[in-house]
Amino acid sequence: VSRTDLAAAIMSAQTKEPTEQQLIAQAYFDGELSATERADFEARMMSSTELAREVAELQRLHVLARRFAGPEPMDAEWRRLDQDPIQRAGSTLAYILLIASGAGLSIAAFAGLYLLEGVHPLVRLLLGLGLTGFLLLLALALRARLRTLPYDPYEEIER
Amino acid sequence: LIVVTTHTVPGREIVEVLGLVRGNTVRARHLGKDIAAMMKNLVGGEVTEYTKLLAESREQAFDRMLEEAHRLRADAIVGVRFTTSMIAAGAAEFLAYGTAVKLS
Repeated sequence: VSRTDLAAAIMSAQTKEPTEQQLIAQAYFDGELSATERADFEARMMSSTELAREVAELQRLHVLARRFAGPEPMDAEWRRLDQDPIQRAGSTLAYILLIASGAGLSIAAFAGLYLLEGVHPLVRLLLGLGLTGFLLLLALALRARLRTLPYDPYEEIER
Repeated sequence: LIVVTTHTVPGREIVEVLGLVRGNTVRARHLGKDIAAMMKNLVGGEVTEYTKLLAESREQAFDRMLEEAHRLRADAIVGVRFTTSMIAAGAAEFLAYGTAVKLS
């Protein structure tokens, strides 16, 4: 995260008048609440998405500020590479090919199960169930990751 | 909250030891990043995907340790250490631990 990004985040946080909820969240984050207030706040945070996001945002800023380090010469080159059309098009194409290959292999595995001759019906059924279970778990893990991403302040750490 | 790797805090006296505080995490990046890292492994240089993975893990473990010290109303954590271990390929475990104390 660049110096400018961090400055912009702090400026944006400072230009608005904080709400009461934000002030309590800040006090919670700074460890300024009493044990009872803390337990009460944590119970409310468990049931309030908005409050949980507020604390996650504070944590994100805190982590960013702590990791505030000067750029290294290589950083600029990494950024230029990120913007480079050949690099971007190449990696997009590579990811599309990998995802297509994964989806294709899954379909082929299902089809193969039912097209292969000489496979005992019970084995066919068990393999089909196992493959379905695997894909279901993968989909659920992806869903959980996407749902928890806004609460993960460590995603923006570079080094 | 003062966090130091030394066993004392210069200029302050430890008046109470609150106990061990620790935080750990195991994090991974997605398969796409593992593949990119594998490619960088072939050509050399910094594997930024894993640099980031370890940095994320270190900061999260550190924050969990701080959270535990906050709960104990500690003034400082002394003797802080970080350890890491291999859990699975492409995943990093980080453990941060130290002693929570009250200072004069």
